[in-house]
Amino acid sequence: MAATAERALGKATSRSGEHLLGIATLVALGVSAVLSLVVAPPDAVQGEVQRIMYVHVPAAWLAYLSFFVVFIASIAYLKTKKTRWDRVAAASAEIGVLFTSLAIVLGMLWGKPVWGSWWTWDPRLTTTAVLLLIYVAYLAIRRTTDNPFRRARWAAVIGIVGFVDVPIVHLSVVWWRSLHQGPTVFRLGGPEIEGTMLLALLVGVAAFTITYAYLMTLRLRVGRLEERAAREALSPLVGAER
Amino acid sequence: MAPNAGYVIAGYLVTALALGGYTLRLFARAKAAKHRAHTIADRRRDG
Repeated sequence: MAATAERALGKATSRSGEHLLGIATLVALGVSAVLSLVVAPPDAVQGEVQRIMYVHVPAAWLAYLSFFVVFIASIAYLKTKKTRWDRVAAASAEIGVLFTSLAIVLGMLWGKPVWGSWWTWDPRLTTTAVLLLIYVAYLAIRRTTDNPFRRARWAAVIGIVGFVDVPIVHLSVVWWRSLHQGPTVFRLGGPEIEGTMLLALLVGVAAFTITYAYLMTLRLRVGRLEERAAREALSPLVGAER
Repeated sequence: MAPNAGYVIAGYLVTALALGGYTLRLFARAKAAKHRAHTIADRRRDG
């Protein structure tokens, strides 16, 4: 199974795969923008400002996906000790931090006109802020040592333990009294959202998922090139020690 | 303009800037890493 995943990753990260994903990303984001800003009706209560949902919710879901990939790749690294898994985890963590930050900023832009406040220490907002801090720490720890094996091992442990916060963030609106609205799509009794709005939201999630795949291919290439540059820089020193 | 439309415009602008900016930064990092590796390899070959 790991070999199949590695082959699929290799195919997606080829240069032609990267170009195709780039075009697919632009098309998907364009379609999503038209559906969200033109086709979907304004909300009956919140009006036009509810349209932020079509970027806020996909950003939050993609943050979950990114950290899930970090979790799986970290387990795979500790099991196989293959640096490719560490590279996947590092790439996904960086993109996850981008999506989490985006979800928080978009939430603030939505919260100000609806709640009358940019920020409140609500359970969903607080656990999301903690999530961001965990993965910023993950990226910071990766810079504290030059030993690639030690770095990968420490990062993998944080990548596994840190993922515990993801279900807490998701269920915070169910477990505690929250200002943040509860689940509207994945809930008992089916989605509680108008058809066109649901379509715009799902297309938004699909577009952000394709964007994530594209950013991963780019970030993995950067990781490979940076490792190659570091190897080139080190090789004369290694030769001199012999 | 609809009330609160400024927040929507700001939201979509922030999204475009974040995703576009990060993509451009990745291209720049790839280019810099490739250049660094080539420079070191060339310098070693020459001398």
